[in-house]
Amino acid sequence: MKNLDSVLAAYLAGWAIFFVYYISVSQRMSTLREEVERLKALLSKGSSK
Amino acid sequence: MALFANTTVLLGKELRTEFRSRELLTTTVVFILVVIVLFSFTFDPSVGESRKFGPGLLWLSFLFAASLMLQPCFLREQNNDTLSALRLAVQDPFSIFLAKLSANTVFLLLTEVLMLPIFAILYNVHILAVFPQLVLVLFLGSLGVAIPGTAFSAISAQARMRELMLPLLLLPLLTPVLIASTEATSGLLAENPGLRIDWLGFLAGFDIVFLTALWLFGEYLLEE
Amino acid sequence: MTKSIARAAVLFALIAATAYLAFNYAPIEKSMGVIQKIFYLHISCAFSAFVAFGTCFYANLRYVFTREPKADWLSVSAAEVGLAFISVVLVSGPIWAHPVWGIWWTWDARLTLTFVLGLLYLSYLLLRSMIEEPDKRALFSALFGIFAFLDVPLVYFSIRWWRTQHPQPVILGGPGSGLEPRMRVSYLLMWGALTGLLILLLSARYKLEALRASVEDLRREAEVR
Repeated sequence: MKNLDSVLAAYLAGWAIFFVYYISVSQRMSTLREEVERLKALLSKGSSK
Repeated sequence: MALFANTTVLLGKELRTEFRSRELLTTTVVFILVVIVLFSFTFDPSVGESRKFGPGLLWLSFLFAASLMLQPCFLREQNNDTLSALRLAVQDPFSIFLAKLSANTVFLLLTEVLMLPIFAILYNVHILAVFPQLVLVLFLGSLGVAIPGTAFSAISAQARMRELMLPLLLLPLLTPVLIASTEATSGLLAENPGLRIDWLGFLAGFDIVFLTALWLFGEYLLEE
Repeated sequence: MTKSIARAAVLFALIAATAYLAFNYAPIEKSMGVIQKIFYLHISCAFSAFVAFGTCFYANLRYVFTREPKADWLSVSAAEVGLAFISVVLVSGPIWAHPVWGIWWTWDARLTLTFVLGLLYLSYLLLRSMIEEPDKRALFSALFGIFAFLDVPLVYFSIRWWRTQHPQPVILGGPGSGLEPRMRVSYLLMWGALTGLLILLLSARYKLEALRASVEDLRREAEVR
């Protein structure tokens, strides 16, 4: 079982890249959602005046 | 034949603008000179070493110089607000690109031909016997740089940090040009010089592919 | 939200199953040994990356001709996800090459093409971040994307003709016809799992871009008031 650690490292690295990318997408998503809420609140306040 | 008539008029305009001040040409020549001198410190420029590394560094310096030189091509029109007038004046917007890329090819070729003897003297390579063939390689290579370069100059003119964006967009795309023209040039600078028809054909193919793409998509590049 | 979690869970189970198959079910390759198991990940990721960049090219063309914002959203998503897959390819490749070839990297045609492709799409994303106005950003980045994709075969052939004049380290054919059946099953499953991952990431990124477009609209509306 020579080189097994290399194989594991490759699979782990691949998994980590996808995981980090997915997390970054969902993080950007949640900041944008907050922004939408904020803007909507701003707009509805402006229109009620 | 309105395309060619328009193109020649516009080409005349491009050349006149440049040769009135010669700003672009002088700065590019000095830039290439600086790069060529600086490169000599990175290896031992003996005859053998120069044959090995010379063509590559020559083309690399041409590529870097071109990515700086192509910058004002569309920026000038944008700054003076002349692009829309230009578009109204021609029948086919492709003639604007054709004129600009021909002008850029002429400028590149001029600086390259000027730099070639200096490069030959500084790096101990013989170019006199193969000068016409070298000019052919330079022409096809410069055309390959100028076609996507002119297109990307229109793209980068729209962006922030445009001075950095143009080299960033252009240089990776020019990988095939760099390889082909370096190989063709080192074939001519070798001990038994020979013209590498295969690489010249490749360069011509590159030029045709991107010229066709520019012909198909050029009009969209001029939208504002 | 729960739907997306469920989808991610299914995908995760699929990937775990394929990893199990690749390690325990597929036989160990004779000449290379256990290190060959990296191929299941490496090749499937490369395939997904090329599919993603192909999608990006398609979306670029579609945007130029139809001007639908949706095509622009698809193209940026595909470029970004393709870059994620390409980086897995570029990381797993050297990890395989080091024990087998004794070097981390060689400027072979396929390796170089992958690298240049990654660079081209990196500049594509950078260009997008440098143009403010949405319509302009979409149009000009799409045009760059079209030029970049046209360059791919040219890069590949130039490097192949150039490097074949030099001696190569080991050249490996792709998983050819003589594939062991259990290996083929593992490849197919890994390929399926990673295509699923590609679709999941693509749809998540696409939703993000759609949301960003609506935020830009709202912001403009707020400025007008």
